[in-house]
Amino acid sequence: MIINKAFKIAVLSTAFLLVLVCLSFARTDHRDYRNSKLDECQDCHSGSGVMSNHGAFFVKEHRLLAQKGGSNCADCHQQSFCTDCHKGGNIDADLTRSLSRRGETMPRTHRSDFISIHSIKAADNPQTCSRCHEANFCSDCHGKTRQKGSMRIKSHRPAGTGSQIYSWNSDHAAEVRRNLQSCESCHPDADVCVKCHSSGKQNPHPRNWRDISKRYKNESNGRTCRKCHITY
Amino acid sequence: MRVKRLLVMLMALVLVPLVSHAADVKLFTSSTQMLWYQDLLSDEGKREVQEYLRVNVTKLDKEGKLNIYGYGRANKVLSSPSEDLQGRLYYLYVDYRDAFKEHLDLRAGRTYVNSAALSGTVDGLYADVKNLGPVGVTLFGGRHVIFDDKRDVGTRGDALTGMSVYLDTVKNTHVEVSYGRKYGDTDVTRESVGLDFSTTPHQMVNVYGRMKYDTFAETYNEMLFGAKMAPLKDLTLRGEYYRSYPTFDSVSIYSIFSVEKYEEKSITAEYEFSKNYRASVKYAKENFDSDADADVFEIGFVAKPIKDLTLNASYEKRSGYAGQLSGLRFYGEYKISKAAILAGMDYDDFRREISREGTAKKFWAGVNYEFSKLISAVLRVEDNVNFTYDNGYQGYVAVQINY
Repeated sequence: MIINKAFKIAVLSTAFLLVLVCLSFARTDHRDYRNSKLDECQDCHSGSGVMSNHGAFFVKEHRLLAQKGGSNCADCHQQSFCTDCHKGGNIDADLTRSLSRRGETMPRTHRSDFISIHSIKAADNPQTCSRCHEANFCSDCHGKTRQKGSMRIKSHRPAGTGSQIYSWNSDHAAEVRRNLQSCESCHPDADVCVKCHSSGKQNPHPRNWRDISKRYKNESNGRTCRKCHITY
Repeated sequence: MRVKRLLVMLMALVLVPLVSHAADVKLFTSSTQMLWYQDLLSDEGKREVQEYLRVNVTKLDKEGKLNIYGYGRANKVLSSPSEDLQGRLYYLYVDYRDAFKEHLDLRAGRTYVNSAALSGTVDGLYADVKNLGPVGVTLFGGRHVIFDDKRDVGTRGDALTGMSVYLDTVKNTHVEVSYGRKYGDTDVTRESVGLDFSTTPHQMVNVYGRMKYDTFAETYNEMLFGAKMAPLKDLTLRGEYYRSYPTFDSVSIYSIFSVEKYEEKSITAEYEFSKNYRASVKYAKENFDSDADADVFEIGFVAKPIKDLTLNASYEKRSGYAGQLSGLRFYGEYKISKAAILAGMDYDDFRREISREGTAKKFWAGVNYEFSKLISAVLRVEDNVNFTYDNGYQGYVAVQINY
């Protein structure tokens, strides 16, 4: 009985202290410092218990901070600062950024001749591309250039010199599993996949398919299923 | 028609002060740009004119809580007369900070919304219910605006909704749970739950993480755990583990396929020799499955040897699955009176798996000349020597007006 009472007092005291600490904590409004230089941040932050940011790897790091509820990015940055990289734009005429083949300014992460290099860079975390680009961004090029010889892809090679028929090799299953998004860039409807996989000989589904298939079927009204299974 | 409507909306914003005695167009930015660039697909050089307009109407009320922000662009490809005038409205929203005491921030209109579960541009509403003791709640929803090929697209059935609950339990500790739903043509195409945490138990240590769970695929779409340390005043170290598992919209045929997870373990170090000299280094080990991996090294250096001169150099080396890359980048900036002169170069040596290989060079230079605080002119030119072009020239000239 006494232990129970002590426990309740301890919990209530902790909760009270916690609320007190939180109420005494006020986030600093940075709007007054928006014109300061980055190297001046440490004048206040040194010893304040806040780790410095906006360092050399901030391009990769900023996502976590910007997506926090109550984040204070807007104290210094306008929304155009985000959209100019993520959605294409250049109102502040940033001279360090290059133009894409569509005349859009690209973030600095896009190195020289990015059209040649992008397949290597896209492998470094395949989800990075989709943070800014819709899937049809890829098919816009790949859908039109698939017959060009320089666009060879490891898992499907031309059947002969100059041939427009492609032969599959055994690598394709492993390649597909590693980077399925790249398949979507040329085959948005997966028509080539369905040709073989709809026969039922090769099951393409993940291991937990039995658990998750019902939800997919319901949300797509069976449209996705009917691409292979005519009875759905 | 749509572009005209866009421009009318932005121009109307400029007129708001005339009907509101206290209002003030605090910042009006216009950028008129003439671009020339190489379109690889059509195999031709293109010329294009773009007009950007950004308007911030502030002090609509006495306390300065009510503001309107707008940003848009109209463009016309001059070298293709058949192409119509196009345009994008990036955002146009009413911002009402501290709408109810210090507990409510509101944004209504076209705005960018951001959460661990879901992000995007919506025509709708964003609310941040804050300072409820240690708790805050954000809510957002609206039509999903998709930017595609210089326009904004999306049907009435495309939508994003979401919310997050965050808890600042003690100073510098943040825990947040978020939930988001994406609709495509009224079908639910994505549903995600995000969990974020970050704590700085000591001023030298920060531990953080994120998990994003896809409720359709019943798997973690992304997972990140990291720790940042500052053992010395000028040295910052970081270690991270990241894992992702690609998932697709429910209506996409790709949602039914089995995929492999991607894993990345990385360590970084940043050191500030003095206020004017900084260096950084990074190593990442990437795993695609048991048979495929890659190593990535990066090193960077920033120097300000004399006043008004900044030099940046970086080197990246990647080897392993998907290809090899060895790339050097250098650029510098020097300010002389009213002019800022920038120049740089990229040199990349790459080997894609089985297909293209070679070197790519990019040389660029630019100048920003400030005639007055109101008007400046910008010029950028670039030459590309690579697989496609012996000399691929592109660039732009711009007139900037900041009022």
